[in-house]
Amino acid sequence: MNAKIDFSKISFLIVDGDKISAQVVYDTLAYLGASHIQRVKSPNNAFDVLRTEKIDIVICEWRLHGMDGLEFLDVMRNSTNSPNRFIPVIMLTAHSELRYVTTARDLGITEFLAKPFNAKALYSRLVSVITRPRVFVNTGTYFGPDRRRRQVEFDGPDRRSMDE
Amino acid sequence: MSHFDWGSGAIVKPEQPKKKKNVQIIPAQTDLKRRAVNFVKGFDINLSSEQIEELEQVVQRSSETFVRDIGKDLMECRKTVIAGLGDKSKRPQAITAAGDLAYSVKALGGTFQYPLMTQIAKSMETFVADRTTANEKQLLVLQLHIDSLYVILAGRVTGFGSTVEQATVAALTKLTERYEDPRE
Repeated sequence: MNAKIDFSKISFLIVDGDKISAQVVYDTLAYLGASHIQRVKSPNNAFDVLRTEKIDIVICEWRLHGMDGLEFLDVMRNSTNSPNRFIPVIMLTAHSELRYVTTARDLGITEFLAKPFNAKALYSRLVSVITRPRVFVNTGTYFGPDRRRRQVEFDGPDRRSMDE
Repeated sequence: MSHFDWGSGAIVKPEQPKKKKNVQIIPAQTDLKRRAVNFVKGFDINLSSEQIEELEQVVQRSSETFVRDIGKDLMECRKTVIAGLGDKSKRPQAITAAGDLAYSVKALGGTFQYPLMTQIAKSMETFVADRTTANEKQLLVLQLHIDSLYVILAGRVTGFGSTVEQATVAALTKLTERYEDPRE
């Protein structure tokens, strides 16, 4: 028997100023059975929603007017005023160059989806967020999901001490 | 405490215990998984090719909206660029409009089977990046990008097009390289 995901149990927040892009994500989530989907155009509106409603997953565009998606992520992960520091955030962006991916990763992004995307890619990010939750790491300089996706065998007493 | 080592004849200081990095590992939040993953209701974690096809059709529902809205945006942006050609004070506005449009088309073209538009929009976005204004020739380069995008959209040229379309993309990229400077 195959494991399934019941999307009606999950609430989503889409933060995207682009009408068509937001609509595509909304349609996909609605088709999957999600019944609680909120759409906002700016991070400020997103914070309002996050403070008043229970949201499980945020899908955010990088390029937003005013505060951009990266600043939004920074506030979510690192601010004392954050409504939920642990919330999974899927970043959508047409900036797919490596430097953008690493910047987003180092600010605590959960998943990164480069535009133009297709339905399969979006679905795989949703599955990853829901079925493979990652431990969170809190250091002096980073707060967010564990950035190491590949678990490499280490033969030694203290792996982190090698960094020094 | 340091001591004299008779073997080497040196004063040996004991090794200081290494300072460990202060790292806190917080267990993964499994609430979502617990609530949503089951064996009865919902979509399979691994979708079949038919299910993926259905999901893709949902995405394509917005294709007509894309053609209509982007077509309108292209016309408006073209007007702004032409206004900038005649009036220097309107050039910053033209650059902003072109940057926004380029990003939108680059982001969505490929999703709606217009990867050629994504290619041209990428060239246009690189060209306007970090600019606040442009000279006349640079505005003309932008106008050529906009016209090409419009032709592809109006002709519903899906996919990467033929050699003619690919030659057009290459020519536009060359133009952006030639008129890249000054960047102000």
